[in-house]
Amino acid sequence: MTGEAHTHPRSHPPVLESTPVVVNDRVAEGIGLLVLDAPLVATHVQPGQFVHLRVAEGTDFILRRPFSVHRVVGGRIEILYQVLGRGTRQMSELEQGDVIDVVGPLGNGWTLPDDASHALLVAGGLGAAPLGMWAERLAERGVAVSVAQGAPYSERLVARELFERVARRVEIATDDGSAGERGFVTGPAERLIRSGEVEVVFACGPERMQQAVANLAAAAGIPCQVSLERLMACGIGACLSCVVSTTEGLKRACVDGPVFDASTIKWESSEVPPKH
Amino acid sequence: MNAADQRPSPDMRVRLGTLELRNPVMTASGTFGSGREFSDFVDLERLGAVVTKGVSMEPWPGNDSPRIAETASGMLNSIGLQNPGVERFVERDLAWLRTLDVPVVVNVSGHSTGEYARVIERIEQAGGADAYEVNISCPNVDAGGMVFGTACGPASEVTRSCRAATQRPLIVKLSPNVTDVVEIAKAVASEGADAVALINTLLGMAIDAESRRPKLARVVGGLSGPAIKPIALRMVWQVAAALDIPVVGMGGITTAEDAVEFMLAGASGVAIGTANFVDPTTTLRVIDGLTTWCRERDVARVADLIGALET
Repeated sequence: MTGEAHTHPRSHPPVLESTPVVVNDRVAEGIGLLVLDAPLVATHVQPGQFVHLRVAEGTDFILRRPFSVHRVVGGRIEILYQVLGRGTRQMSELEQGDVIDVVGPLGNGWTLPDDASHALLVAGGLGAAPLGMWAERLAERGVAVSVAQGAPYSERLVARELFERVARRVEIATDDGSAGERGFVTGPAERLIRSGEVEVVFACGPERMQQAVANLAAAAGIPCQVSLERLMACGIGACLSCVVSTTEGLKRACVDGPVFDASTIKWESSEVPPKH
Repeated sequence: MNAADQRPSPDMRVRLGTLELRNPVMTASGTFGSGREFSDFVDLERLGAVVTKGVSMEPWPGNDSPRIAETASGMLNSIGLQNPGVERFVERDLAWLRTLDVPVVVNVSGHSTGEYARVIERIEQAGGADAYEVNISCPNVDAGGMVFGTACGPASEVTRSCRAATQRPLIVKLSPNVTDVVEIAKAVASEGADAVALINTLLGMAIDAESRRPKLARVVGGLSGPAIKPIALRMVWQVAAALDIPVVGMGGITTAEDAVEFMLAGASGVAIGTANFVDPTTTLRVIDGLTTWCRERDVARVADLIGALET
């Protein structure tokens, strides 16, 4: 990867915006799509950046929850979320017209190496979320997009239509074989990387999946960026909750990431999945 | 404009020893970085003081992840005083803070009594801070931190050593994880502390029943947030009643009314901690709310609230 690809010029400073809920739909078992009317954030957010949502206010103390922006449509931002804990359960109960406050855009998003003309996006489960807007942006820029997408079963292939609309090719793997091949997304990802056609890989999903994809890309000599998830409190670089071990020392997922050059990551041996 | 707004603005100034603050609202160390991280949301020059994240002589890596866990009305953290060391702090953070018109209180940590004093000496060489907050109460490190704050002997020793290193206001931050917080407070006061700050976090833990694992990599961590406010109020009240030096009160402050309660209990200053994470503008909201609260009740000077609890 070129030197330029490592340096993220500081994007627009984050704002605190009060955002009405436009849509909050269940798109699959345990997965929701939240659409917020957020003109300020929508104007400035870059693919791969995230927002910090205050999912409940007043009655009880609850930390903000970080979510990558899946898509921007006009002045609206779309957020895909999986109901896993207290915060996301609260989110699933939001109704049209409820107003929640959003801090964003936050963090560093995806960066296209200068000379890349064909990108592979590897999406595992909800890892599809930060790749939606990026797939659209790459296609707009005339970059060929291939996608490897995996999920437990076909209904959980969130954003599959988006990928099929903008990508040259989408290869699917599901745990139960209900769509595409049976198995993990690393299967199609490996074939696509080995095909020699793709010049850069962007991956998001379970950390072990990202590590496996990063290793495949490294073996093929292709640059790879990953979007890492960590428990987070402030989201703006102050609290040091969300640190990531890298070859350059500890980095903060919120301001130094969430997108990192995969070759700098010191993968942790035992992953404790965030449940928030 | 409503009637309340036409009344005279209250005098919001308070003093911590020789340190004068434009209002009582400070930041709690470790929740506000060096201040810069919040500068997109907060005009730092409106704050009573910026209290920086703890700094030690050498860089500290902090603890393993996960480092936080949300709990009922609060959170646990076990960050472990990760910091880049005093040299980097002086050149990057302190230099930047000095360009602002706001009192800077540097929170000082150490593995040994001598390290605390050396950090202060290094900062003094670089021009000094407006005050130092001596952290003898972090529950998340094995050596240093709370080890010095849970017995009178070590607490006195650290305070004495820091006192010898600077003439500037010295605030000692106390641990609630003690049998008698008043006795520790008296010990540091008798060694020349100009003020005490309390409370640091309460040692706690959280467990994930399904995985049968602790939620924090370090197993235990410090509890903060609204859950600890009643304990913090009680300790501030006890210490303020027993000491002649000012108290900075903190523990779960989220609203202006919380701040008023701490001042009534005896705090001269208050610090906003965990609430900064939920709403990055909490400090400003509390300053504005406190001003309005005083004006609406004809409190001419916010300092009149200090220790005004009626029992």
